[in-house]
Order: sequence, then structure tokens, then C-alpha cells
Amino acid sequence: MASLKDRVDGLRKEFDAAAPRAVDARSLEDLRTAFLGRKRGHITLLFEELKSAPPEEKREAGRLVNELKNDVAGRLEALAAELRTAAGRPGRAVDLTLPGRKRYVGAAHPLTLFEQEIERIFLAMGFAIEDGPEIETDYYNFEALNFPPHHPARDKWDTLFIKGDLLLRTHTSPVQVRVMERTKPPIRIICPGRVFRRETPDPTHLPMFMQVEGLVIDEGVTFAHLKGTLEFFLRALFGEKVKVRFRPSFFPFTEPSAEVDIECLVCSGRDPACRVCGGTGWKEILGSGMVDPQVLKNVNIDPEKYSGWAFGLGIDRTAMLALGIPEMRYFYENDLRFLRQFVTK
Amino acid sequence: MKISQDWIRDYVAVDLPKAELVDRLTMIGWVPESVEEIGGDLVLDLETYANRPDALGHLGVAREIGALLGLPLLEKDWPLVELAEETSCVADVQIAAEALCPRYCGLVVRGVPVGPSPAWLARRLEAVGLRPINAVVDVSNYVLFATGQPIHTFDLGRIGGGCIVVRKAKRGETLVDLDGRTLELRPDMLVIADETRPVALAGVIGGQASGVGASTRDVFIESAAFDPVSIRQTAKTLGLSTDASYRFERGADIGFAPQGALMAASLLCAMGGRATRGLIDRYPRPAKPRRVRLRLRRVAELLGVAVAESFVVDVLERLGFRLEAAGAHAWRVEVPTFRVDISREADLIEEIARFYGYDRIPSQVTPVDSFPTAVNRRRERLDRIRATLLAQGFDEVINWSFADPEREAAAAGGRTPIAIQNPISNRASLMRTTLLPGLVENAAWNLNRGLEGVHVFEAGNVYEWAGETAHREDLHLGVLSTGLVPAAGLTTPAAETGFEVVKGAVEAVFEALRFDPVGFRKAGHPSFEAGLTLAVLVKGQEVGTLGRLRRDFAASGSVERDVYAAEIDLSALFEKTPRPFQYQPVPKLPGVVRDLSFLLDASRTYGEIVQVLGRLNQPLLEGFELIDRFEGRPLPEGRVSLTVRLRFRHAQRTLVADEVDRIVQEIVAQLKAGLGIQLREGPH
Repeated sequence: MASLKDRVDGLRKEFDAAAPRAVDARSLEDLRTAFLGRKRGHITLLFEELKSAPPEEKREAGRLVNELKNDVAGRLEALAAELRTAAGRPGRAVDLTLPGRKRYVGAAHPLTLFEQEIERIFLAMGFAIEDGPEIETDYYNFEALNFPPHHPARDKWDTLFIKGDLLLRTHTSPVQVRVMERTKPPIRIICPGRVFRRETPDPTHLPMFMQVEGLVIDEGVTFAHLKGTLEFFLRALFGEKVKVRFRPSFFPFTEPSAEVDIECLVCSGRDPACRVCGGTGWKEILGSGMVDPQVLKNVNIDPEKYSGWAFGLGIDRTAMLALGIPEMRYFYENDLRFLRQFVTK
Repeated sequence: MKISQDWIRDYVAVDLPKAELVDRLTMIGWVPESVEEIGGDLVLDLETYANRPDALGHLGVAREIGALLGLPLLEKDWPLVELAEETSCVADVQIAAEALCPRYCGLVVRGVPVGPSPAWLARRLEAVGLRPINAVVDVSNYVLFATGQPIHTFDLGRIGGGCIVVRKAKRGETLVDLDGRTLELRPDMLVIADETRPVALAGVIGGQASGVGASTRDVFIESAAFDPVSIRQTAKTLGLSTDASYRFERGADIGFAPQGALMAASLLCAMGGRATRGLIDRYPRPAKPRRVRLRLRRVAELLGVAVAESFVVDVLERLGFRLEAAGAHAWRVEVPTFRVDISREADLIEEIARFYGYDRIPSQVTPVDSFPTAVNRRRERLDRIRATLLAQGFDEVINWSFADPEREAAAAGGRTPIAIQNPISNRASLMRTTLLPGLVENAAWNLNRGLEGVHVFEAGNVYEWAGETAHREDLHLGVLSTGLVPAAGLTTPAAETGFEVVKGAVEAVFEALRFDPVGFRKAGHPSFEAGLTLAVLVKGQEVGTLGRLRRDFAASGSVERDVYAAEIDLSALFEKTPRPFQYQPVPKLPGVVRDLSFLLDASRTYGEIVQVLGRLNQPLLEGFELIDRFEGRPLPEGRVSLTVRLRFRHAQRTLVADEVDRIVQEIVAQLKAGLGIQLREGPH
């Protein structure tokens, strides 16, 4: 009998010791389970034992255990009531300056983020996104785009060759050709993707980079539409106030052609020795133009009925300008300390 | 190309402040890449265009400025001091390859000046970045940079028989050029020859033997037109590019050839030379003038602005075009010979637009008539994959599509890589067949810079030959994990990554795309450690590999830690149909959860437990998952403790404790019988 009494006392002390640790609903529930749990609570197990106690001891023992059970149940109820009140009990002090607990979320590549920013603007204007192969034929990369064989215009698109007429696409224009071949106008697409050129690496040139091109073909499409749409795009990308200018240029696949500049984001034309714009106050950002009639003929679209405009922009170089990154190669070194900065941009 | 303002003023009386000149030129397409002031002169380095050889000289740029400012082009006389001797008595020209040389003009000047050019001429050449050499050479260069017409001057005494033959090279012929290089000529190359041998590579470079030297007294001046493609191919083949070839391959002005010769001769005469009488002009089939139809209506249709008819006529005429009315508001436009770039109506409209001013064309947003646009499913799926892996704590990388042959061999994918004919470097001379070497390189780079863990993915193409000429380009997903997995707060410390981190990433991706359930099967792969490799399967078809990379493969990328990786063929995966989405009603009745902890022989796998539970076919068992796994002390050697959480539910009624107990007992019995488990705690 004495042993049972000791055990009841022991459990009571144990409860006393444990009670202050019940500072929230969960720890309180754990405490309740430990003592009154339906299967393996300490007190539940004591009642189990009572079943096999000699009848003469049963009464007294039952009283002791019942008392303990009622005490514990009462105390648990009181603790629960305390926890329900706003103030609660003065529990462990919480250091509110401790850092929050965060799950690590990976960082998307800055070129992906920037590409998606561009895509969102065009998607909102009803453009579709198209893809195409990176290994292309001379026809899709050059000839269909009005580059005659052996024309010096090809020099600007210095090419990595594979074998026969296979090459690595030097722009995503072949995707435009493929889409025009299989789709009747109206066409309104952008084609982002990897492109390759035989460039000697320097801060703004690499043999592989990302480009996005766009194409609109419909009846009655004019140079005025090219201007309006690209101005809208560049303002959405660089801010409402950015100044944009269009100046004549030459590309075999557009006629007329226009190079598009934005005002220098670094010096706004105020620094004659500006590293970004060279003091001109303008930074070339993309090439564009009205789709050359020969290109339309090559894909059996009647240039008398339809017209269109197209543009091409280097994602890397534009991102460098927008994010203030001095070297293009940083994008491909994949230093995580670099890549992880752009998530919050 | 460098243009001197002083020189330009020979042709047009331009007088604009520097900033305005730069701006006005820029806005008609001639962008000065640099502007220098040299001794009171202004030198602009203009961007050039492959289709505008006419502007590769001061005359052409002056013509543009004249059209822009409404100023007339100044004509200049090129008088000769002539001998009584007829040119044809001294020299003879035959064109034996008419297709490659449509026009050839020549003139002889005797008693050419020896020594340096006059100061004015030397100064002009220096202004545009040339080094004056001697009067004869400088005159050729002067004509070229003044007008864009390349001139070649031969030492008449060194041309055998005074005989000039324009022909294709003969097999085995060679030519020592002006720079002393011996050029191996091929039969498709055009040469200028005398009676016996080539004396110049036509339109590219002269020969040393016939070149002008200190002893030269009499010269033969060549001013010709050559086929652009032939010149370009010859120059490319021999790896040469000269001021002459640069212009000829873009197209010289066939109408200007006689004047080029006369201009050069006139300059030499002004320095004391005497020209023979009568220009030789071989032009067997004079080109007909090109005519292009232009409709005012099309100008507005293409530009989106109504340009005044008078402006159209005026600007084209100032640029040297001749307009002849052809119906109402339409013309037949004759193209001057120097404008080799103009052959279609759109080309003329570009000229009108340039001078009208791009800034004066209004801006309109492309009208958004809605029409059905295709949703790019591939990109949608890629976005989903990206979002899933980012949420799993993987960072995205973008690697080169190029591969290093040595590293590619280490990856030993068994594919035939595609080689690049003219790579930037040997280390980037193949196209990658796998994403793994790139990812290993990312791991090495970052571990070497003090990061404790690298968990990255890339979605990108891999390439291979699929036969002799056919190639494949497939979209792959690569995932790599090595080192410590970032801690989530103070309570869960950073832990070394493992197999299950990459497996979890793959499972998450497949679930996100509804390609679950993803299957795994033990497999072998040359890049992965034997016994630690799984094939990834969808509907029984292998779409990828997952496991620990072989140590030697990781080490070939300088990573010494354990590296876990996966590579999935997304092109193959995306061809499959994902599981259709089906809505499941949220259960209204409570379920019952029972945790089962037991000891198991360590040689047994969790997969075997899954199999046993799967075979039960117990409708009330809603699901189960492993919630704890433990081995080591105090457990006996060779035993492992697992805790599996079993979830029970009946769709129509609340479960009774007893019936759940019965099922649990049945499960325990099955596990005991099948796998010899030993319960640790829980119901007996």
C-alpha cells in the first residue's frame, strides 16, 4: 500500500514539476496525455493496476488515485483557463529580436526573371510566345531572311557552323520564319531564346546570349505601330519617363529599319565621359523595322496585302543596363552569391 | 569609316555646329561612333552598313548631307595634261571573265612624281587614319577615300607586253602580294595578268612584282568593277581583307569607273605626270538603268503617315534618283548606279522615311484585335517546374550550350556529340549532350568560394547526332545537390544533403506536372555510382536518371564531396499525357490515425513495406506515410526502427476504434509474416 501512496505522491510531484512547462495549448495537451491519456497516461495505468489489487486495499487505493486524478484534472482545467485569457501566465521570456524562421526558397536566374518581365509586357498586348530549334539551317537563319549567300551583311552575324548547312542560330529570327510558314496572318508573337555568335568574349560580348524577338503581321500595319508599341514596351520596362528615339539603320530582313535608343540611364547625357553611353546621352537598346517584302514573299505572304514589323533585343545587355551589371559573363558564371540577389529586385 | 568635314566641303558647302552635324547625321542613319577635332578639322568615325558601299567615301556622305540640308553637290573638274601618245598603243586590256569583271577602265601616266605627296593630300589621308607612303600610292588611296572607287596602280614597265588580261587564275598559279605573302591561287579566283602570269589578285591586292616602287616612272591606272561575290569568296578563302575588297564585295559603282581613273590621273598630272591620250573603257554589256515603281499610297501604308508628294519627289531627286510620272501619284524611279541597295519600292520608302525623319512619324500602338493565340504549353510547364524547384530550395542556373570534349567524355553519356566547325576555343568545341558537367562545374565554382552547399537546377537543350546527318535537340532538366542543405531556423540545423533530396525534387516536379505517380527502378548509368542509381519512369517508360554521381566524374569537375543529381528528358516527358485532374470532395467525416513503430532487419527496404501495404487492398486504409526512421544505438546492430503513420477513413460513417484496431492487427500480422517486423510500441 505504501508503495502505491509513494507512487501517487511521486506522480503529483512530477505533475507539479511539469505544469510550469505547459505554456501553450500543445504542451498542455502533451501534459494531459502524459497523465490522463486514454491508453498510456500515468494515472490511467494506475487504475489498470488497481483492477488486480487485493480487495481489502482496493478501496483506499482507489480513493488515493481518484483524488490524484481529480487534482490533476482540476489543475489542467485551471491551466487551460489561464491560457485562454489574454495575458496567460508569465512563461519563459521570449526574445522578440530573434531572427524569424524562414524556409529557403531558391532564386530564379536573373536572365529568366528579366525575360519573364519582358514576356509579361508583350503577353498583356496579346502576343504569343513561340520557340524554335537552336541548331538551324542556313536557310532559316539567313536566306529566308533576305541574306543572300556570300553577302557581307552576314559579317555582323558571325556564325558558329556545324556541318553542311547546319549552324547555331545567330538570332531567334528563324523562329519568326517558321511561324510565318505555318501560320496565316494575323501574327503577333515574341520569340525568346538562346542565340550564338562567334564573338571573342569581352564585357558585353559572349559566344552565347539570350535574345527576344517580336513580330507583328497583319493588314494595315505601319511604322507608326512599330514606334507606338516599342515605346510602350520600353516605358513599361524602364519607366514611364524614359526618352526613346528611333533612327535609321540597316538590317537585311527589314525595310525601313530602325535602331532604337533610350536615354542613358546613368548620366542622362550630362556626362561627356559616361562609361555607358560614351557621352552621347543615348544607349542603343534594340533593332527593329518593317518586315522586308522579300521575307514575306519567302513565306508566301503577299506583301501587297499584309505588312508587319519586327524587333530584336539582347536580353543580357538590356538586363545589364537595367540592373547595373558591368560584365555579361556574370550571368553564366552562376556564382550563387550573384544569382541570389535578383529575387528581390 | 572616318570622314573629314574639310574633305566633305569639296563636295558640299556644309556649315553646321559640331553637335548639330552629329545629331542630323545620326537621325538619317549615319551614327558617328567617335568625333575628333584635328587641327581645325572635324573627323567623324561613321558606322557603315553592308548595303551602302556608296557611302564608303566622302562623295557619298556629302550626297547624303546635301540631300538632308537641301544643298547642291559641287562638281569638280579633273583636268589632264596629255601626251600625244594613245593609251591603246602602250597598253591593251582584255576581259576574259566578263561575268566577274563587267567593266574595266585604264589609263597610263608617264613621269609620275617620285617621293612624298603634297602636304594637303598627305594631311587629308592622315585625317582619316591613313599613313601617307608616296605620291602614287597616296593618289590611289585618295581616290578611294574620296569617292569609294578602289584604284590600283601598276608599274607599267613591269607588265609584260603592256598587256592586261582579266581572267580566272590557272591551276597551280601563285602570286606574291604587296605584303610579300605568297598566295596559292585557285581556279575560281579572278586575277589581273600580263602576257604570262598574274600581276594582281583582282579587287583584293596587287602583286609585289608589278607594284609601284622607287624606280617607277610610268604607271597603269586601273579603275574597274568586279563581281562582289567572287571578290568576297577570294578574300575569305585567302583570309585577306583590304580597303579595295571591302568595297568591291559590297558593290562598287559601275558608272563611276571611268571617272575614278581620270581623277587619279589628274592628281598625278598635277604633280608633274603626263597622261596618255584616250581612256581605255572595256564595258562589253552596259547595264540598263534599274527602274522601280513607287506609289504614294504605299508610302502612307507602310509608314503610317501621309508624306507630301512634293517632299517625296524632292528628296529622291536630291539623292540622285530620276522620277518619271507613271499614273496618278505614282512614278517609275530610275536608280543611280551608285545605289546598289535600291531595287524595290520598300527601299525607296525607306529613303523617304529617313529624310522625312523617324521622329516625325506618329506613334500608334498596334491595334489589339483579339484573335486566338496559341498557349505555349511547353513554357507553361517549364514555369511550373521552375516554381516547384525554387520552392524546394534549388537555385536556377544557366550554363553554356557548349561543352569541353574532355569533360563531356567524363560524363560518358553514350551519345554522339555535335562538334562546332569553328569553335571559339577547344574547350567549347562541342555541343553538350548532358546538363550534368555544367552543374558539376557550378558546384565546384561555388564550393571553392566558401559556400557550404550547392543545390541547383537548369532547364536547357542538349544536342546529339542521330545518324549521319540527322540531329536531335532535346529539352532536359538537370538537378544537382551537394553539401549542406540550408537550415530552417535554429531548431533544424543544416544537414548534409542526400539521395532523398534529389529524389524529392524529382517527385515534386512530376507531381506538379501531374505525371505522378513517378516510378523508380534500379538502373545503371555511366555517370552515376553503381547501386546508387535509379531510372525515373513515367507509365513504365524511362525518362531520366537519378542518383549519386560517380566520384571520378564529380572529381573531374573538381568536386570532392558526394554529389547527388538527376537528369530528366523533358522533351520525352512532355509527349506523354498527364494524369487528368480530378476533383476529390473534402471528407466530411473524421478519420483515424494510428502510428506503427517497429524494428526491421536493416537489409529490408521501405519499398517492401509499401508493397505489403499495397497488397492489402483494405478500403478503409486511406493512406500511409513514413514519419520516422532511426538506426544505431540503443537499437541492436543490423536493425532499423521505422514509424509508419496509417490513416483510416470511411466515406459514409465514423469509424469505430475496434474496427480500426482489427485492421491494424491484420497489417501487423502481414508485416510480421512477410518482413519479420517486431513492434516497438503501439497496440498489441
